[in-house]
Order: sequence, then structure tokens, then C-alpha cells
Amino acid sequence: MDKKQREFKVLLVDDEDVFREATARQLAVRGFVVLTANSGEAAVEVVNNDPPEVVVLDQQMPGMHGSDTFIAIKQINPLIEVIMLTGNTSVDNAIELMQMGTFDYLMKPINIDDLLYKIEDAYTRKKLNEKQQREAGQ
Amino acid sequence: MSTILGNLKQIYKALRGRSVADQPGNSSEMNALFRFRYALFKELLAANSELLTVLSDMDEKLKGETVFGLSYITNQVNKSLRNAFQMVKSLNVMSSGKHRDLYAALEKINERIKSIIEERRAECASRAVMPYDQVLLKDADWAGGKNANLGEIKNRLNIPVPEGFAITTKGFHDFFEYNDLKEAIIKQKNLIYVNEFDLLNNLSAETLELVRSKPLPPDLEQEILAASTELWGDDPSVLVAMRSSAVGEDGDISYAGQYLTLLGVTRPEICEAYKTIISSLFSARSISYRSSKGVYDEDLAMAVACLKMVDSRASGVLYTRHPYDITNEHILINAVWGLGPYAVDGVVTPDAYAVTKDTGLTLQEKTVATKLVQLRLNAEGGVEERPVPPDLQNAPCLSDDQIRVLAGYGTALEQHYKCPQDVEWAMDPDGQLLILQSRPLKIQSPTNFSLLKAPPLKGYELIVDGGEIASQGVGKGVIVHVDAVEDLADFPEGGVLVARHSSPEYVIVMRQASAIIVGAGSVSGHMAALAREFDLPTLICANLSMDRIPPGLEVTVDAYTGRIYAGEVPELLTAIKKEEAHMKGTPIYDQLERIAKHVIPLNLVNPEAPEFTPAGCATLHDLARYCHEYSYKEMFQISDLASKFHGWSLKLDAALPMDIHLIDMGNGLKEDALTKWNSVKVDEIVSAPFIALLQGMLNKEVHGLEPRPVNFSGLMSVIREQTLAPGHVGDRFGDRSYAIIADKYLNFSSRVGYHYSVIDAYCGDTINKNYITFTFKGGAADDVRKNRRVRAIADILDREGFRVQVKGDKVDARLQKYPKSYIESKMDILGRLLIFTRQLDMLMTTEQSVVWVADNFAAGNYKLTAPPVEA
Repeated sequence: MDKKQREFKVLLVDDEDVFREATARQLAVRGFVVLTANSGEAAVEVVNNDPPEVVVLDQQMPGMHGSDTFIAIKQINPLIEVIMLTGNTSVDNAIELMQMGTFDYLMKPINIDDLLYKIEDAYTRKKLNEKQQREAGQ
Repeated sequence: MSTILGNLKQIYKALRGRSVADQPGNSSEMNALFRFRYALFKELLAANSELLTVLSDMDEKLKGETVFGLSYITNQVNKSLRNAFQMVKSLNVMSSGKHRDLYAALEKINERIKSIIEERRAECASRAVMPYDQVLLKDADWAGGKNANLGEIKNRLNIPVPEGFAITTKGFHDFFEYNDLKEAIIKQKNLIYVNEFDLLNNLSAETLELVRSKPLPPDLEQEILAASTELWGDDPSVLVAMRSSAVGEDGDISYAGQYLTLLGVTRPEICEAYKTIISSLFSARSISYRSSKGVYDEDLAMAVACLKMVDSRASGVLYTRHPYDITNEHILINAVWGLGPYAVDGVVTPDAYAVTKDTGLTLQEKTVATKLVQLRLNAEGGVEERPVPPDLQNAPCLSDDQIRVLAGYGTALEQHYKCPQDVEWAMDPDGQLLILQSRPLKIQSPTNFSLLKAPPLKGYELIVDGGEIASQGVGKGVIVHVDAVEDLADFPEGGVLVARHSSPEYVIVMRQASAIIVGAGSVSGHMAALAREFDLPTLICANLSMDRIPPGLEVTVDAYTGRIYAGEVPELLTAIKKEEAHMKGTPIYDQLERIAKHVIPLNLVNPEAPEFTPAGCATLHDLARYCHEYSYKEMFQISDLASKFHGWSLKLDAALPMDIHLIDMGNGLKEDALTKWNSVKVDEIVSAPFIALLQGMLNKEVHGLEPRPVNFSGLMSVIREQTLAPGHVGDRFGDRSYAIIADKYLNFSSRVGYHYSVIDAYCGDTINKNYITFTFKGGAADDVRKNRRVRAIADILDREGFRVQVKGDKVDARLQKYPKSYIESKMDILGRLLIFTRQLDMLMTTEQSVVWVADNFAAGNYKLTAPPVEA
């Protein structure tokens, strides 16, 4: 298992307590700084106050739905990369969300190590995009 | 909302539109970027393999020989859509959205499939409990495969089966809705992915307990008890066997052993036992199993079979034909005293009987064994081993009349199900013969049955043995070699297509051909899928020697045992008659057939064709083919990124006439190799394709020849070109060679002087993923010599089995879906070729030198000093 320390924050959003806590624990063991939120609304608040680099977002949530939360996060900061999780097996929403710029769309159940690599890749993508934007602005 | 979406899409476009690689970066950026792209490529390859596996499974079901229900269809459809989506997604992220129209194509296919599924979902079982008198095969979707089969045998064929009834999926749904249990199950399912097994175990135990603690809806309980009273009155001695009759897959084969069976259930215990059985769906083991098989829980349901337990006097197995000797059509029966497991497990040597299929059902063979022990029911419904009474130990279990009755049942079953059957039977205490189960008999292929397969037929010349079976069947015809696509134009009716390698382009002649034999390819590849679609016997014969099957030779291809015989073999041609299978014509089969039209057919066979576009993708198979093709191209271009990061690469320390810089994307080097003075030794490389390439490059025969003696007129041509037409040769490439590596991957670009070559290769254990692409372009000499050189290279590669294309001074070669060792041997050849071709254009003074160079390379003679004189 990859235990190196990572210096960036990941926000994990899922209304399912057991799932969220277990996943957060697993990511923390692997060296991530993990923030959690149990709803879309709470996620938006975290993004405003303590912005993460990468968000892992469950799609099916009561209240503010995953897709709406995704849009709200991108409005606050379009550079934050979002990985969508879903328990749904249909590709209906997946196509739309990928076209809108979700970093990736993963269908549960997936392996925790796969998620870890996805988060790292999302972080890389974010850093590269930030650099480009800086250089474009110069 | 729509403006927000529009804005987002624009931001996304702006960000993704520019290539992130335009900027030179630092080492960690570089590593991340390469790893990122490679990870996507690997995802795409994995999804492609998985999708093709689903396609071949659906093909198998379309033969109509095995029972399946709606859940099977939704599961397979979800799996294939998911993998197609994964491929489209990976390709688009790799290419910064170059193929975005694929999403629209996928959406269209998705819509079409969904509408077909929705029609069927509206239908469902009207009753929660069905006695076997009322169950037929068409009820498989809600009664489960096992129940439906027993009902069909009893009601359509009037063959006795054990007494009993089915509790359908309606019972399952009623129970879950009555107690509001769906939520609990979803929670549990999501946890598998976190890999917290303790947590999963605890939650599984909780769910099991929860399900068992809930009451059955009163209506359901009453229906179950009524069905049991109807069959067995108040008889307290009746014991029941209760087992799952799963609907998620094909009958009970795939779920074998996963779910609970309860034996010796007394009448008052039936309802409790029912709950225990359905709760077994939620054991940690079952959940993990479903997850590993990619079965999803949305449509999860279970039917249960309640059967009166039979304390069999004798039991055994019946095959309606020989399982691997396809010329033996006798009905084969074996029998032991007591219960069946001892016949199957080999604890006791059973009696063996063979019966001919003529009208009289003549007993052909009768071998009576000594049977010392037997398995019997005890009073509690369990089983125990007992000695066989001495007078029965050497007696036959079945009388000749009983053997004939049983053989009659076998014949009827085979006729009804329209394919050979594998049957379990029992004799009850009153001497009545019952059928416990009947399923299609698998005609064994030699790959998994090598020791037991039938010997080759006598009296015929066996040319090839041990071919892998890509599509079953027997075909006869005259050998036609196909070396290039153009050869397909005059392919004769009934010919046997022979090629070095599989290709989906052979689809053009699949209607005319009587069989296909290829030297390499994969049984789950595109061509194999097409061959199954066309029901065309197809063999993949590794190490196929073309000389053994020359053009014009008549052969019989036995794609059941993987053999090729010279001439016509009438026994084989008449042995297995293709017949319509029993699932055909059922509503569920029709539905699968309709859906399959949007999944399985491959229309995009030729990447050069104008319809090879996202809009041309009419099926999921097309999408997969398109993504697969373009993923190569994306990976091929990865070398363009390498020079932008040259400051961060490692130098290869090897005695080679060129500098090679290395970029490791993951596990391409030994762990401790990374940081020694920024240089790496050859023995620190673990990338399989790169090791093989270097082996060729370092080969003593080709190596150490530098510099090649300069031929004067050749040198003059080079100098003339460089001085007179600087613009023409102006696109001088950088003088570096890059190897971007991973454990199974290599992208090697060599840009030396005025020519470049790129090799892109994947080399692992999965044949379907392996490939080599090679491009060679340019040179410092005049156009004529450059063209001669690429033609010489093309000739060499063609002889090595590559598919080759020459345009001007560029040659493209490709090879795919070969075993690892073969790919490695070709990488070795390419390594030699890279060294061999340096300055080769100076030697290309005459037209004859093209063949002369290729001949010498093939002969292993790499010292070229005297080109043939111009005629």
C-alpha cells in the first residue's frame, strides 16, 4: 500500500455516513488530508471556506444533488477537479457530466487504490491547468 | 441553469483545448503527465478486453441453449455500456476531447437499448407461488432457471420430476417491500469498494439478521403453506429440500455453490427456511462474488425451489451423447446405489450403460461395478454413508427395462431442448424414475479437456492438432491463403480461409467461407466474435506452418477438438447437426436478440474507410473498435512530448551508436535504478518490450558493423541532396532517441539525422492487448533511394508477419494480438533492423537492391558491402 504523505486536500462528499467515514479513513491512511461533507450544501460551504484541490462527490444525495453540487463547486472555482462517484449502473448522467468537465466518473464499487490514483491524476491535471492559466495571464 | 452549463462547458473547452504539454516542465510534472496518459491507455485496453468478453458471452447465449432471464440481459447490457463508456472517456481524456462525438454516438445506442429493456420490465410474475404443474420454461425470469426447467420437463414432456413448487421473484419483492428492506442493502453494497472487510462482515451480519427478523407478508405466508398442503396434505413425514433458483444469471450454473441450500426442512419450518435462503444473497461472500463478477444489485431478486426430498434407491448421470468423442452418439448412463453425489464425486465406481438411439433403444454396453457403500437420507433429512447390502454390491442398479425408460427420457429431453443434454436422475423408493435436472451438455474442447479428448479419427491424415477454438463447428473446403485484403476479392465459395493473423476484415467473406484457420489471434478478439456471429468454424493454431496447408488442399476443419484433417471426413461432417435451440422463440430470447443488434455487430472493420467515424458507430462493438484504433494513435504520438522534457530523462548506458534517453512511466526500471548519475544500465531495465528491442539492437551480428563502408555513389547522392536542395531536407529531426517505458509498454522514437522511426508496443500476458506499431520515415538521400529503402524495410517486415503500408518515403507496419513471446521475438527483429538500416539509403543504388537487402536481412547476413550492379 502506498503510504507516502501527500500535501493536498481532498474533499469527500457522501450522505452515507458509514461509507463516507470508512472511505475517509482509508484515504487518510494513504496520506491524504481529507475533509468530509455529508451533503451538497455542506460541500459548497467547505469549498468556500477551506478550498480543496480535488473533490470526490457522490451523485445520489438527498437535497442538493451531486450534479448540482458539481456545478456550484465549478462556479466557485473552475479549476477544482471533481471525481464523481455513483452507485447507479446507468451511463445516462455519466455522459452529460463528462462533457461538462468532470475529471472522471467512477461507478461503485471500485477499488480504493484506483480512487487514490484518480485523485492524484486529478491533482496533476489541476496543477498543470493552473500553471497554464498563470502563463496565459502573463 | 443552461447558461451556467454553457459557461462551464466553455471553461472546460478553454482549459482542455490547449495541450498541457506545450510547456516544458519539471521532472515530477513530466512523470505525472506520462503516467497519466499511460494509465488512461491501460484503462482503455482493460475495458476493451472486458467488453469483448461480454460480447462473446452474449453470442453464446444467442445460441439459445442456456436459460437466462431479464436480469442476465440488464447485467450484460450495463456491463457492456459501462465498458464502452470507459473507453470513450479514456480516449477523450487522452486526446483532450478530440473524439467528443463518440459521446453522442454512445448516448444514441444507450437510448435504443434502454427502450427495448423498458418494454420487458413492465411484464412480471403475477403470482408469488407456482406449483410445478403450472411452471414452464417461459417463466424462467421470475421462477428461476431451475424451477422453470423442472416445470417444462414435467408439463411439456410428461416426464416425472420431484414434487414441489416455486416461490417466484414476486414473493421476494413482496417481502422486501412489505418490510422496507432496500435501503439496508444499498448501504452494504457500497462498502465493498472501501475494502474494509471487517466493516463489510459486520454490516453483512446485521443485514442477514435484519432480513431474517422481518415477518413474511401474511398473504405470502398463506400462499406458501397452501401450496405445500395441496401437494402433501398433512403428512408430517415429508421433508423438503429448499434451494435458490437464481435469476441473475443463466439458471444456477454461474451461481453454483454461492447460495444456500437447506435439506431436511420440515413443513412448519418452510417459511423460516425461505427467509434464510433469500438472506444468503447478502452474505459478505455473496456480495463480493457478485461484485467480482460485475453483477449489480438494482435488479437483484431470487426465486426459491421447494422440492420433496427423495430418498433415492439409486441415482446417477445421463449424457445424451458422448461429451468429447463427437462420433459417438450413444446415450451414456451411470448409476450408483443411494444418492447422486457418490456417482459424480467418484467415491464409488458406478455402473455404466450405453444405449443406441434407434427406435428400440438397444442396450449396447453394460458394465456392472462393485459398489460397497452408498449415501442415504437419515430421519432428520441429512445424509449418511451406509454399506450396500452384500446381495446388491455386484448387482446392476437398473434393470434393462429401467435403462430403456431412462434412455427414452434422455432422447425426449434432447429432442425437446434441441441439443445434447447432461441429466441428473434418481429412482425413488417405489422404483419410479425421476429427472432432477437437465442442462445442455458441453461438448468439450481440447484446451480444458486435453487428457480426455477423443483420439484422432483413424484412416485420415491429421495435419494439425491442438488448435484453439474461436468458433465451434465442422467445415470442409479447399485451402485459400489470404496474405492481403486484396486477396479477399476473389475468395471462392466454400473455401477455407488461411491467414497468418486474425483480422475483422475477413468478415467480407464469412458468408462464403466454410472455415477459418489463422496462425495468431485471440479467441475473444474481434474476428472470433464475428466468426461466432456467422457460425463459422474457426481455429487459431499457434506455430501454424503454411507449408502444411498449401493452397488448393482439401481439408476438414474440426473446430470441436481443434484438429485439421486432409481431405473429406464424412463422420465429422454428419456427426453434429446444427439445430435450433430451445430458448429461441421465447420472449426473453427475442429481446436479447433485439438488444444484441445494438451491441454485437461490427460495422467498422476498416480504419481507412470513410465511415470509420464516431457517427459511423452503430453498435457498442463499433465504439470499442474505434476507441481501440485511435488509442494506438494517441499513444504513438506520446513521443512528441518526450523532447519537451529532455532535461529530465535518464541516459541509457549502452554500447550503441546512438544516445537513448529514458522516461519511466511506472515499473519500467528496477526500483533502485532511478537516481544513479542520471544514467541507467541495460540490466536495470525491466520493461519487457524494451528489453527485447535492446537485445536486437545489441545483437553482435548487426552491432559492431559501424560505420558501414561508404559506397561512393551513395555518398555523392547524400551530399548532392544536402547541398542542392537544403529546403527539401530541411526537416532535420533532433538527434536524440527516446524510450518511454513501463513494465509492459514501450514507445521508442529514434530521430537521428534526417530520418525518424517510432516503435510503440504493448507486451504482456493478455494476447488481446499486445501489439507493435512501427513507422519509419525520411532519409538523407534522394527520393528514389529513400523510397527504395522504405520498400526494403517493408519487404523485411512483411516477411516477419507485419501488416505493412508504404507511402512515399514512409513505411507503417503493425502487428497485434500475438502472445508475449512472439511480440518479444519481433521486437528483437526490430532492434536489429534499427541498427541495420542506418545509412542504408546509400546502398540503394539499384532497384535490385530492394530485394537484395531484404534477402540478406532474412538470411541473417547484416554485412552489406556489395550492392548489385544496375542492370
